Amino acid sequence: MSNGNALLQATGISKSYGATQALNEMALTLCPGEIHVLVGGNGSGKSTFIKILAGVEQGDSGEITVSGNTVDARHANPDTSWKMGLRFVHQRSSIFPDLAIAENLAIGSVFRTGLGGRIQWKEQYQRAHALLEKFHIDADPRDLASTLSPAKQTLLAIARALQDEDGSGPSVLVLDEPTASLPRTEAVELVTALRGYAARGQAILYVSHRLDEILTVADRVSVLRDGDYSGTYARDDLTHDSLVELIAGRSWDSLVAAASDREPREVGRTVLVVNGLSGAAVRDATFSVGAGEILGIAGLLGSGRSTLLRLLFGAVQRETGTVELEGEPIELASPVEAMRSRIAFVPEDRLREAAFADLTVQDNLSIANVRRYWRHAWIDRSLERETSASLLKEFKVKASSPNAVLGGLSGGNQQKVMLARWMQRNPRLLLLDEPTQGVDVGARSDIHGLLRDMAARGTACVVVSSDPEELELLCDRILVMRNGRLAGDNDGAQIA
Amino acid sequence: MTEIEVNRAESQRLPAHLPSTAVDATRRPIPRRESRLGVLAERYALVVLLIAVVVFFSLYPPTSGTFLTLANFRVVLGTQGVLAIVALGALIPLIANQWDLSVGAVAGLSAVSVASLFSQNVPLWGVLLAAMIAGLTVGFVNALLVTKVGTSAVITTLGIAGVIAGAVTQITGGKSQVANIPAEFRAFGSGSVFGLPYVFWVMLVVAAGVHYLLSHTPYGRYLYAFGSNPEAARLVGLKTSLLLGSTFVIASVLAASGGLLLVARSGGADPRVGESLTMAALAAAFLSAASIKPGRYNVGGMLVAMLLLAFLNSGLNLAGAPPFVSQYVNGAALIVGVALAVIIGRRRRQRGKL
Repeated sequence: MSNGNALLQATGISKSYGATQALNEMALTLCPGEIHVLVGGNGSGKSTFIKILAGVEQGDSGEITVSGNTVDARHANPDTSWKMGLRFVHQRSSIFPDLAIAENLAIGSVFRTGLGGRIQWKEQYQRAHALLEKFHIDADPRDLASTLSPAKQTLLAIARALQDEDGSGPSVLVLDEPTASLPRTEAVELVTALRGYAARGQAILYVSHRLDEILTVADRVSVLRDGDYSGTYARDDLTHDSLVELIAGRSWDSLVAAASDREPREVGRTVLVVNGLSGAAVRDATFSVGAGEILGIAGLLGSGRSTLLRLLFGAVQRETGTVELEGEPIELASPVEAMRSRIAFVPEDRLREAAFADLTVQDNLSIANVRRYWRHAWIDRSLERETSASLLKEFKVKASSPNAVLGGLSGGNQQKVMLARWMQRNPRLLLLDEPTQGVDVGARSDIHGLLRDMAARGTACVVVSSDPEELELLCDRILVMRNGRLAGDNDGAQIA
Repeated sequence: MTEIEVNRAESQRLPAHLPSTAVDATRRPIPRRESRLGVLAERYALVVLLIAVVVFFSLYPPTSGTFLTLANFRVVLGTQGVLAIVALGALIPLIANQWDLSVGAVAGLSAVSVASLFSQNVPLWGVLLAAMIAGLTVGFVNALLVTKVGTSAVITTLGIAGVIAGAVTQITGGKSQVANIPAEFRAFGSGSVFGLPYVFWVMLVVAAGVHYLLSHTPYGRYLYAFGSNPEAARLVGLKTSLLLGSTFVIASVLAASGGLLLVARSGGADPRVGESLTMAALAAAFLSAASIKPGRYNVGGMLVAMLLLAFLNSGLNLAGAPPFVSQYVNGAALIVGVALAVIIGRRRRQRGKL
């Protein structure tokens, strides 16, 4: 497609936060009737780009043109974005489930009111009815939005976003991961409806990480990686594997091969044996890890990789399957039990799930191990202080003192504190979810060193990462997770 | 003992009561980036203010004759003794980031139950038992509603406070219970040792116990961690429901103990006594984060805040200010307490980033 008939054209859009280049020279064109998918891993700059389009963030440079009207990305604002015809629908959060469908539609536009500000319900319902018909949503406008299926709720949000376009020129619909929380059948329904809208000439920019879906719905796919725009591809030129390679920067196959080609390290007795483990998004996971081994789990966002770790830590309920730790079956009903079996887990989202940001570094270190300091009905503070100070040294944490507030440390140092918290417990099994996300290069290599030391002392490690380079550097063996299932070099059981 | 001596003894005793926080040896050897002066100012600003208030009313001509007297200190510290125990109750859920708005009502319930049981000639041990059962029951109900049903603590405890108010009116018929309170029980309430009321000493012992619980036991650590980040607390293996529920039980038991002492002090129970306690207790609990251990709700800070408010109110009262002024002071103190907790917390996080 040429740029001549482009409805939306974005060029040279860059954005940095401090020293981090979030988006570098992003370019994108979107034509009427086209579904254009934007893909990229965590922190690839997708969200930043969408935010600049929506005008909630301003770019450092670049231009956005819609229907011939050009705006400087440095002056982007929500009002201009709306006037140019850009319409946004975010996941499922944007509808009001306890209000009627007609009310949901009216809130995005206006309530028709009569004498004394009374809502003219009849007219409201007629208008809603017409909109539902136009967007092929089979529902009564009087029903509550919560009675709609998840896919239809998204369609309702789309109808609401596009309802006021009459006569003011064509609009661009931007969907931010609309299927992220939908079950498969619902996602298919939504995607089918979107194809219908596109066939009528609607331009759609679609952000997703579901590869199968991308390959069915897209006309073209643009890829972002680490903030860099790495090209736009026609759907027919892409396969599942080539798309993975574009997003991750290399193929899983080469990654798995590289790990297995390497001189194998000494791996001790089998520590963890997982058999047919299912729960939440994870299906039938079977693998094992030996003492001192670092097993990598590769996979894209939403593949179930984090859920697998949570299952092993008892933080997500197991449905079927067995887990054995050093030959003994374990229940894993709760994190408390997992910890009793000397399993440790460092979650991905440090701020929300691991850090006590307003407490001291020492508090953060001790919390998983307080009983150790409990002597004669008193917490032994001097022991705690000595232990903390030596942990800070061992883990190369840059902090003014163990009494510094954790939230004041850099991301890398905070992450080292999280590792130290668990490693001091001398775990048999260490589960790490994105251990170096949002961490600077120096801290990253420190953390890798610490993990290798830990493994060398006999701890079995499972590392989830979306960074192929990290997996290759760190792991003895790599499994690939896709749609909740493990694939790849699945010979774990033979290690024993 | 002269008045001056009492005052000196008082000003020495307070800091001495807080050795492990004020003289925290663990902090000394490590160089700190924060300005030493700034930290001291933040820690002891309210203490200085407290001393300033006491000095001011001791010298201010209209109150100089009455403020700095043993009688006045006895009244203030005795009253505050009861309030402080209730406030210690409010402090514990607050550390877990939960507001217990029923502490005053529980104290009131305990007080009227105690007084009406006495009037029915129930022996002392039975009365004490009944007060504790009342506290435990309300605490368990709050805990179950918040942890099992998942209702918000503010709404739950507000509702429970309403229910208790109903029960209190039913028990008392709206009338004060003053009949048949045993003399020895009243003597304990009005008696003094070393010049200060028994109730005040009891409060100090309870405060020391709560301080021990919060600062020297794993339970305290877990509580501060839960208050900081409940999800992270769950993922480091804390039994979060148990932890959260326990705070309400402890709060209610302490509040019920406060109610018991209230009867001893006043020789009876007014059915409306609970209403005024909740706000004063919460104000002190919130203001606790403004001193001694800034940014953390803590026992030492709470005592400082409470004495500051008490002496301020007492001075204003002696100076002839109308009663509504103390309502202004208590209401404003609650807001200032919440605001300071937020501001100091934010500053601490920012300062860490230097």
